[in-house]
Amino acid sequence: MSGIMLLFAGLFLPLFPLSMVFNGLFGQMQHRTLRIALLLIWPQIGVALVVASGMEVPGWLLVWALLTAIFYGFRALVLREVSLWISFIATSVWAVMWLVIGSQGVGWYELAKYALGFSLPLVLLLLLSGELEQRFGAAYTGLYNGLAQSLPRLSWLIVMVVLAVIATPLFPAFPAVMAAMLNVAPDSFMMALMLSIAWFMWGWAGARLIQGLLIGEENQTVTAQTDMSVGKAWIYAVGLVVMALSGISMTGGLA
Amino acid sequence: MEQLVILLLVLPLLAGLVNHLFSKSLGYRSATLSVYGAVLTFAVAVYLLLEVLLDERSASVQFGDGWGIILADPLSSLMALLITGISLIVRIYSVKYMVEEEGYGRFFMLLDFMTASLLLMVTAGDLITLVIAWHLVGVVLYFLLGFDTRSPVASRYALWTLVTYRIGDMAMVIAAVLLYHAFGTWSLTEIFAEVTANPGQHHYFGMTVEEVVGFLLALSAFARSAQLFLHTWLPYTMDGPSPVSALMHAGIVNAGGFLINRFAPIFVQTESVMHLLFAVGLVTAIIGSVLMLTQNDIKKALGYSTMGQMGFMIMECGVGAFSLAIYHLIAHGLFKGTLFLGAGTVINEARQHDGVPKQDLYTFVVERKSAKRNQPWLVMAGITLAVPIIILTMAHWLVAQDFFQKQGAIVLLFFGWITGAQLLFNTYRMDVQNVWRLVGMIIFSFALVIAGYVLISHAFDLFLYPDPAFRAEIYTAAHIDVFWFDLLVILTTAVIVAGWVLTYYSEQNRLKGEAHLNRLWLSFYAMVSREFYMTDLYAWLTRALLKVSARLNVLLRWR
Repeated sequence: MSGIMLLFAGLFLPLFPLSMVFNGLFGQMQHRTLRIALLLIWPQIGVALVVASGMEVPGWLLVWALLTAIFYGFRALVLREVSLWISFIATSVWAVMWLVIGSQGVGWYELAKYALGFSLPLVLLLLLSGELEQRFGAAYTGLYNGLAQSLPRLSWLIVMVVLAVIATPLFPAFPAVMAAMLNVAPDSFMMALMLSIAWFMWGWAGARLIQGLLIGEENQTVTAQTDMSVGKAWIYAVGLVVMALSGISMTGGLA
Repeated sequence: MEQLVILLLVLPLLAGLVNHLFSKSLGYRSATLSVYGAVLTFAVAVYLLLEVLLDERSASVQFGDGWGIILADPLSSLMALLITGISLIVRIYSVKYMVEEEGYGRFFMLLDFMTASLLLMVTAGDLITLVIAWHLVGVVLYFLLGFDTRSPVASRYALWTLVTYRIGDMAMVIAAVLLYHAFGTWSLTEIFAEVTANPGQHHYFGMTVEEVVGFLLALSAFARSAQLFLHTWLPYTMDGPSPVSALMHAGIVNAGGFLINRFAPIFVQTESVMHLLFAVGLVTAIIGSVLMLTQNDIKKALGYSTMGQMGFMIMECGVGAFSLAIYHLIAHGLFKGTLFLGAGTVINEARQHDGVPKQDLYTFVVERKSAKRNQPWLVMAGITLAVPIIILTMAHWLVAQDFFQKQGAIVLLFFGWITGAQLLFNTYRMDVQNVWRLVGMIIFSFALVIAGYVLISHAFDLFLYPDPAFRAEIYTAAHIDVFWFDLLVILTTAVIVAGWVLTYYSEQNRLKGEAHLNRLWLSFYAMVSREFYMTDLYAWLTRALLKVSARLNVLLRWR
């Protein structure tokens, strides 16, 4: 029974090919609120299922999770549609949760926090992609370049949120990755290397996303748009600061 | 002293935040704010170094529980002075240089954050803080290099830098995690104390933790300091603003040398990591120098020169001359920063006046016109071979009588001798009014440089590693079997002498060169001019990976 629960958790902390369920569902849902709910709740269900099963995560499952993380990180490199990018990166980062779960002495509350640390930046990015859709009809890289010059506030937020998504230090995804590394590196160099590759892929994919949106000569479509209002930008900025503070606090928790 | 360390980090951070939050209302005053912030930070760094130097003590401040430790010790205070000094010069230079650029305030904000990140890196007293700062330097550099958001080229090479740095970051994260797992603490001081007291106690993957961590940290240093195979980003990041190039080459790329020095207690417990450092450093130095010689773009040539210099720096670590590497990175930082800041003016000058002024050195080196009457060959050969070795031996003997027992010192002596001999060998046939005056000036300059480097590096040695036993341990860790050492010295000498003979032969037979040798030479030149095809290989590999990624997505219907 516990084994089945563990496998069932593979739907929510996605393991390829079970991960295709989440990606299909996310693609089908067009309503932003539903997508946000999915990003927030989906991995929490997975965490709850694993904790409820009471089973120790077997080694082969950790390797499976790592392969999934690398696979989706790698596939995210060429994605141009921002929502699809979010969906793939979510799959990749949540797979790493299996390694965090493997940590001895990590309770449900801690795990839920780490999962939230992975999800929250993705939610913010989804909201920002909504801003892009509102202005350009689609959130797509390479379609309209040079946002950095005409829409500096929106661009700055995109950059910061992408940094949070790719587990840059100070943001909450960073201590989650460190916790995963603490669990696997002492026992298996190969797994540590695989986790590093997954992390590397997020960074590469994130930088490509930023480049595709912000860099280049601005065209008329871009210059015709107005930047995000100061008030709205401040709300996002406060969100980012809160996230960074919680990230610092969670990093302290590693000590 | 504790307050000074905090101030050192807070000042640039505060300047950056104010610049960011009030960039619109500040306008061009953002530069003034940044410069004043840099002046204050520099003053704090000077004061901190004096405190460490005169009081002969270190201090630390801890912000978190078991992490967030900031150290003020000889190494961090020295590095802080270098970083704040160079960033101050770069800021002052940028005030006018960047004035017509869009995002003037953003530029100074990024410079402030870069200074803060670098200072956090050199003062980090625990592994978490070090990993965070190490990462942040890469991230801020990415934005500085891609400062011109209109330029896809600048952005592409900024991405290359980020990707290469990430490789090093990952290695450092694994090293940090292994050290924590082995010693149960993130604190560097506690880890080093434990490693020194009980070396070789913990094992991972069939090796001691010191050996594994040494390899991983070496990889991290290689990525940061553009060592062979991880160097391609360095010469291509010239599309970024010149002040950023100056800062990068003077204060960021040399972080590898700092890292090795910071983890010196780990490196002395390793068996083969020091030899790896030597080998990689040596090859990088040679390849970097060869590539530099073939560049026709002044900034790219400077980029490859940095690669060569970083190779020397890592090689110095590999022979156990840790503090010499710190002296080297400081000296290199200062001269390379100056060269980059001057490069813009030189390029402008060359664009306006495109003739080459008549000058002895140019006539001799480029046009290959030597003096009509040569000096006696035997006399000059004697001077060429004997004078450098006498100067080097005397200078080394002045600071340490037992230097002949250290292989590292012999290696450096050997390289110094070759450099001096090469210099004299190359110039004695120059067409100048008084050749003896020229030779005298060369010998005097050489003696001055050697005495300076020996005395200063000895002073650095005493300051950074006051314990003589530890200094000896570093050299011992770099020691190799005497047979192999002698064989390597003989082989290297043979290669160099063969090079000299070949040069002499080709000079004598310049007009009647053999066809197959010419073809060989041309093939070699083509290979060098294409940078040994490494850039092409990486570009091809990247394109192939992206193609596979796209194919997979189509195959799996984007699920």
